[in-house]
Amino acid sequence: MENKCDNLSLFIINELTNQDKKQFEDHLLKCAKCQQELKSIQETWQMLSYDVEETEVPESLKSQVMDFVFEENKFLKHEEKKEAEPMSFKERILSVAKKHFSPISTAVTAILIICLIGFYWNSLHLKDTIKALENNAADPTQIVTTYSLTGESFAASATGSAYLLQEGTETNLVIALNNMPITKGNEVYQVWLLKNGNRQSAGTLIPDQNGSGLITYRLPPEYSFEDIGITLEPNPFNTQPQGQKVLGT
Amino acid sequence: MKSKSDEELIELIVQNHRPALEELYDRYVKLIYSFSIKITKGDTEKTKEIVQQVFLRLWTTKRTYNASQGQFVNWLLTITRNISIDLIRKEQKYKGTVQLELEEWQQMQGLQSEDVEQQVTRNLLKQQIQEAKRQLSEPQQRLINLLYWEGYSLSEIAELEQKPLGTIKSRLHQALKKLRNNFNGKIGGVRHGE
Ligand SMILES: [Zn+2]
Repeated sequence: MENKCDNLSLFIINELTNQDKKQFEDHLLKCAKCQQELKSIQETWQMLSYDVEETEVPESLKSQVMDFVFEENKFLKHEEKKEAEPMSFKERILSVAKKHFSPISTAVTAILIICLIGFYWNSLHLKDTIKALENNAADPTQIVTTYSLTGESFAASATGSAYLLQEGTETNLVIALNNMPITKGNEVYQVWLLKNGNRQSAGTLIPDQNGSGLITYRLPPEYSFEDIGITLEPNPFNTQPQGQKVLGT
Repeated sequence: MKSKSDEELIELIVQNHRPALEELYDRYVKLIYSFSIKITKGDTEKTKEIVQQVFLRLWTTKRTYNASQGQFVNWLLTITRNISIDLIRKEQKYKGTVQLELEEWQQMQGLQSEDVEQQVTRNLLKQQIQEAKRQLSEPQQRLINLLYWEGYSLSEIAELEQKPLGTIKSRLHQALKKLRNNFNGKIGGVRHGE
């Protein structure tokens, strides 16, 4: 009981998940203390809105508001609808992906574009996008695994995410990195897949001026790995790591 | 129009009566404007956008307000805040500073209070809320501002303050209770004629 009463404030400011909200509503029916407090705290929350300085409203505002409501109403409603439609963004990505990047899979390309645009997409968003792409792709694509990469030593502020995508019989690894220290000369970052103490190279990359980088790697058939490690290598063609490890799962 | 109550005006808006909307504008624009300009930190362009959206919402979602559910003015401020925070958060999102999944702010319909009298002058209420806020601890004040005026979620605030979410949650509970207690005895008894 005690514990549930603590959710009263969260209920009022609407920060409960749907499930917790339902549970609290059930609790509210039974708990006299919460019933009693609900109203007064609700009022308190609303009272906060009175903490404003009265401000003169510009004369011209009224006609701007009324024009907006009555003249642009229909047009804007249409626009809003478009904006609220999450598919349109995905569809745009999809069409770009199809046009320019036919050799790699549409889904992988879409992720690359999303990362390039600089949007922050967590794996949930990504799953969502992939799901939307499924209808259009010949083979459904699935995110099999998501990894998060943490920077270390001089790249301690670097972060990254890796996604393992299954598309038909193909498996692709997509890695997006941020805040990577800029490389000098021939230096490259190299991705290693670790299994049973063995390392296999999964490609190299050089981050852009902002320290962001992307790499996609098609895994050999039936291949699996346990961990991902990224090193800074003095030159691009190493088959075993020479340089220092900077990121890992 | 001037003699009509808010409820009567809403009724007329349902029937697509434009002068009723204009009357509501005249009655409440100052409040909405003052509120929005605070939340946008003085950005008049954004404030205009918010006011436009609020009245568009009034005009298009006509049946959302139900007089039995409480004060019209509270409802109006709730949608103003929702629209403002949506706008602020959308910008934060594009700037990449807020990286969390943002939950849609839902309206607090059905929980509106009838006790807070609309007739209580706003200045009096303002003084009271400011006084009540002053009695909060520094972290409590900061929390209320981030939450109410800056539109941060509790988990974002926990991150900003580098405190566990649980700490922030109980801080909120304490802060709201303290604010409420500071109000007690001040509201309810004060009733001014209009
Ligand atoms: Zn309770």
